[in-house]
Amino acid sequence: MNAAYEFVTGPLAWFAWGIFILGAAWRLYSMYQLAKKKDASSWAFMDLGFSLRSIVNWLIPFNALGWRKSPVMTVATFAFHICLILVPVFLVAHVVLWTEFFGISYATLPDSVADAMTLVVLAACLIFAGRRLTQKEVAYITTGKDWLALVIVTLPFLTGFLAYHQIFDYQVMIIAHIVAGEIMLAAIPFTRLSHMVFAAFTRAYMGSEFGGVRHARDW
Amino acid sequence: MKRILPLLILAGLVCVSALVAVQTVMAQDAITKLAPEAFGKLTRPAAVFVHDKHNEKAKLEDCVVCHHGGKDGVIDRTASTEGTPCSECHKVKPAGKATSLQRAYHKQCIDCHRTKGKGPVACGQCHKR
Repeated sequence: MNAAYEFVTGPLAWFAWGIFILGAAWRLYSMYQLAKKKDASSWAFMDLGFSLRSIVNWLIPFNALGWRKSPVMTVATFAFHICLILVPVFLVAHVVLWTEFFGISYATLPDSVADAMTLVVLAACLIFAGRRLTQKEVAYITTGKDWLALVIVTLPFLTGFLAYHQIFDYQVMIIAHIVAGEIMLAAIPFTRLSHMVFAAFTRAYMGSEFGGVRHARDW
Repeated sequence: MKRILPLLILAGLVCVSALVAVQTVMAQDAITKLAPEAFGKLTRPAAVFVHDKHNEKAKLEDCVVCHHGGKDGVIDRTASTEGTPCSECHKVKPAGKATSLQRAYHKQCIDCHRTKGKGPVACGQCHKR
């Protein structure tokens, strides 16, 4: 147990963070090169004002027409993304590890709140899966890559919930949880999860084209 | 039957109070959990720590290994402080860069377990539900 824990919280953690940060930087750089080569004209109409206008409008729930058209998805996706970021960053157990390893300490969420937010993430994952299965237009464009991303995101929260409540074998579950989290980090640049890196630029691109070329809103 | 019943109840009461008395005395002697009052309401279940059994297993005879002295952030392993509660030096919310009570416990236990390659290191191994 101790050797496995040392390995997953030591070398493997550095490796996962390294892949995540360097991979994200590389993906951004290579996408920038590709866009310059294949879509040079788009650079002419990229505009900071139109970009921010689009990003802000899409960040407000039910503000964009796209959100109003699918209310269940809107609630699920906003709740999901907020909890997805806040829980791992502000979880007491995670902050204790930052303190242990680097002496860093900051505000935390009460465990009961984080617990409920974890269930929100898991419920949202079920909604996303259900949507891919039942909604025709979504099922049509769903591929294995989408399922892979969903599984990669679900696992750290599922194993984290089970480890916190000490359901099943704790020692196995905590190692599984750490490894699942590391897989997720490392997978961000190279799977559908890369929208974490690209989303702002995708939105900026759309916003700039609609604002500067079509003179229309894109929300 | 009518005469036996009150006797049985009396005997039961005696047994229960004896049990409570014994447990209270034993609890004063044997430390099985780390839940200093200074923490107030605990975030996680109190860390399991059976003092005597731990020291027997870890072959610890010298108290100062854990009950260290020191000041200004420097541990003094020559000045033994057994009998002094940890919370007397390590405050829950210390001023400045002093080691907090929680960090003191975590550092004391986990660092040693990591060096020795034995003993609990992950949250739920000590904070058992």
